[in-house]
Amino acid sequence: MPRLILAAALIAAGPAAAHYGMIIPSDPMIAQDEGRSVDLMVSFSHPFEEDGMILERPETFTVTHGGETTDLLGALSEATVMGEPGYTLTHALDRPGTHVFAMTPVPYWEPAEDAFIQHFTKTYVSAYDDDEGWDAELGLRTEIVPLSKPFGLWEGNIFQGIVHLEGEPVPYAEIEVEFYNEGQQTSAPSELMITQTIKADADGVFTYAAPSAGWWGFAALNTAPETMAQDGVEKAVELGAVIWVRFEAWQ
Amino acid sequence: MIRSLILICALALGGPALAHRVTVFASVQAAEAGEVVVVEAKFSTGRVPTQGDVLVEDASGTLLATYPLEDGVARFPLDRTVAAGGLSITVKTDDDHEGYWLLTPADLGGGA
Repeated sequence: MPRLILAAALIAAGPAAAHYGMIIPSDPMIAQDEGRSVDLMVSFSHPFEEDGMILERPETFTVTHGGETTDLLGALSEATVMGEPGYTLTHALDRPGTHVFAMTPVPYWEPAEDAFIQHFTKTYVSAYDDDEGWDAELGLRTEIVPLSKPFGLWEGNIFQGIVHLEGEPVPYAEIEVEFYNEGQQTSAPSELMITQTIKADADGVFTYAAPSAGWWGFAALNTAPETMAQDGVEKAVELGAVIWVRFEAWQ
Repeated sequence: MIRSLILICALALGGPALAHRVTVFASVQAAEAGEVVVVEAKFSTGRVPTQGDVLVEDASGTLLATYPLEDGVARFPLDRTVAAGGLSITVKTDDDHEGYWLLTPADLGGGA
């Protein structure tokens, strides 16, 4: 193929943005004078470009508080998020403490990667100035367990977490980091900086310092031991442990 | 509603949360005779204050009653007539920490 045609074809394919399951709350720290509920936006997207993909109704959508997990799947309302089908939810915060929202989506077939993608996605919301439960581990198949409080961070603070797969730390796990570039407020000087990639240490612990306020997504990616069939051919399944963390502007 | 808003504004001016602060939460629960307000207090460390006082004021700031806080909890009967505009519930611990919860008309099922 002539080089110019090849280049045009690659450009038309779009940037190599990372896929993220997303659960974005209206506010990760709800004070008592800010109401008694939180609004959630749920999607499968490229967060830096605000480029949506289709999110089918998830396998599960739950909230965990005080060690108890409640099914919220039936409370999801269909919505258009970043131009594609997603969901919204308003959830009443009946008690103080940390409420952890988690989604297990159905595996997403991604032809470009010749693989299925399943991102176990979660975010943490504190109610009424009580942060108890901020380090809760939900027991998802793969999960980033926070070592830093996943809310109440200043921009420039570090976020640390442990990557777990099947309940065990993943040494040297690869983690993709991406900013939810709401309103296209910033641009990246290189495609390498749309999605940054870091690695965990030998204990599965990773560290990242966010340069600006906003929502940052961390996705630890591993390949499942099993495969899934697509058109009669067995394909790999990428398991993503995704956590969304809010950093606040220094004021 | 206006009176409860004034109450909220007045309390909001009370200052920021400090280290080792007390967080307070109050909810209405059914009881054998009527309803009770259950007040729960704890330090930011997760420990509960063993003793203290719970001051209950109406929407105009009039002190209605004071109850003892024991092991982080106090209960008192809900009088919906006096609570119609909302209740301000302040916990003062014996070691001089203080926190509050506003039980709004909406919390009481009466709309915002």
